[in-house]
Amino acid sequence: MKVDRTKSAVCLVALLAGLCGCDRGSTPAGNAGASAGGSGAAWLATEEPAGARPVGEARQTAVDGQPVVLFGHIGGSAQPFVTGAAAFTIVDPKVPWCPDEEGCPTPWDYCCKQNEVRENIATIKLVDAAGKLVASDAKELLGVRELSLVVVAGKASRDEAGNLVVLAEKVHVRQ
Amino acid sequence: MIWHRWLPWDYGVRNLLRRPVRTALTLAAMVIVVFLVLVVVGFIRGLERSLAISGDPEAVLVHALTAGENLETSAIPAQTPALLAASLTGIRRWGNQPAISPELFLGTRIQTGGAVEGMGGLIKSEPEALAENADSNIDSRPRNSASASGSQEFAVLSAQGMGLVRGVTGAAPLVRRGLRLVEGRWPDAGEVLVGRLTATKLGCEESQLDVGQTIRFEQREWKIAGRFAAGEAAFEAEIWCRLEDFQAALKRQDLSLVALLADSPGSAAEVELFCKQRTDLELVAVSEAAYYASLQKFYRPIRMLAWVVVALVSGAGMFAGMNLMYGAVAGRVREIATLRAIGFRRRAILLGLLQEGLLLAALGTLIAGAIALYVLNGSSIRFTMGAFAMRLDGPAMLAGCGAGLTLGLLGTLPPAVRALRMPVVTGLKSA
Repeated sequence: MKVDRTKSAVCLVALLAGLCGCDRGSTPAGNAGASAGGSGAAWLATEEPAGARPVGEARQTAVDGQPVVLFGHIGGSAQPFVTGAAAFTIVDPKVPWCPDEEGCPTPWDYCCKQNEVRENIATIKLVDAAGKLVASDAKELLGVRELSLVVVAGKASRDEAGNLVVLAEKVHVRQ
Repeated sequence: MIWHRWLPWDYGVRNLLRRPVRTALTLAAMVIVVFLVLVVVGFIRGLERSLAISGDPEAVLVHALTAGENLETSAIPAQTPALLAASLTGIRRWGNQPAISPELFLGTRIQTGGAVEGMGGLIKSEPEALAENADSNIDSRPRNSASASGSQEFAVLSAQGMGLVRGVTGAAPLVRRGLRLVEGRWPDAGEVLVGRLTATKLGCEESQLDVGQTIRFEQREWKIAGRFAAGEAAFEAEIWCRLEDFQAALKRQDLSLVALLADSPGSAAEVELFCKQRTDLELVAVSEAAYYASLQKFYRPIRMLAWVVVALVSGAGMFAGMNLMYGAVAGRVREIATLRAIGFRRRAILLGLLQEGLLLAALGTLIAGAIALYVLNGSSIRFTMGAFAMRLDGPAMLAGCGAGLTLGLLGTLPPAVRALRMPVVTGLKSA
């Protein structure tokens, strides 16, 4: 009888341990971000690059193939980060996003100001030493999120439609 | 050594048969409760399955940035497919054909239920006759009227419902890999394909959408050339026609979306990146699986409400069962006291009563399950995005069986415990 009770207790503990072990999604988000942010150290700048301009101004002045330093809030669409690649869009801080009182679940899509976004948005691509796009999510790599204010230093890439893409070498997270 | 013995198994079975009316009433209550639980869980599982399987993980949808999750409001330039084909390298190809499907998608009023003489492509029926019919949802009166020229007669299309129409090209099956033509053929000019669940979406008879029948939308009549299935995906409730015909009917030159198949996860990122870089085009790319997953959040309140209904129905059933069992046990106080007096332990009697409750619950669950499988499983339900089939799969049946057996257990336990607490002498004296 005693053996049966011991067996039952062991089974119960094993069952509870199994149930606890099922909680695979319990890693604290903060820790995940910190560790992921560490792997993006090659791009993260502790000090802000000098001569940064807002995105709208950079779109006017940046020359294809030349260095550019610009800053803006991560956003411009409901999902500003590219899944599976270190790329995202930033919007000039002068463009206001939906105020909190409107209760918009994704204020970073600037849904109320899409017309202004058009001329005040740039795409940021994190590239490695060979100039190749990094195949990791920028959100995890840099520890940033939507509406983070970032300063980006890199090389400008322009097309005939006036779009601005920055091949980023350094990213400083202002807030 | 009677105090070590359990009550015989058939004692509980015979007890159930001793009071057939009470047993039948309890059984009926159990069947109704479990059936209602299965209805609600089957509804939830069907909805979840429809949204889950609609999204091909390798398919990417490119639509207008401003459209959000509503593809019907999306409008993108007609040259977008060519631009994507020229700019992207990671699009899957079938032979020389890239898997890029330009599509025009719209919810519109569809009229069904009649045939038009002399159908041979895009023949217009009498506008006045249809205008009369436009305000009524169902008009079953068969009417004939002469056309303006007086040369043709029309059987007025009688039923009307909101349907989803997708204008596609021959490339659509390259991307929508679950598509199966189950009857008829691919549509020619002025013809359409209807899905397996289109009749449910439109709220009309299946026979009104038979191959060869005629339906009407966007001021044109369309002959049904075939019927398709799509593995229970949301498309099954749609009507498909040729893109150029639909553009002409809508007087539109643009598209709603471009669906394409990426040849690797990296290629899907390439499409997304292309749309982000070309901010002037105001396009957005989203994987089809992510799109349908995002739609699930709109149905979260419905699902939560459904689970609340499951809880309420189960709770109500439990109280009803408990009430019946209180009555059943109350009438057996003397019998229980006698069993205790001759030496059966409380535990043995409790187990006997639980056995009776569980037997009844198991029988009720089996009957409800059988009825539900026969009546409900696969039956289609209309919802905003189309239609889906109720699905009584393993988890749904498990939920139903679990609810039924829990009812039997929890419904029996309190009255049985109460009866066993009564002193033997009091029990023996009771009437």
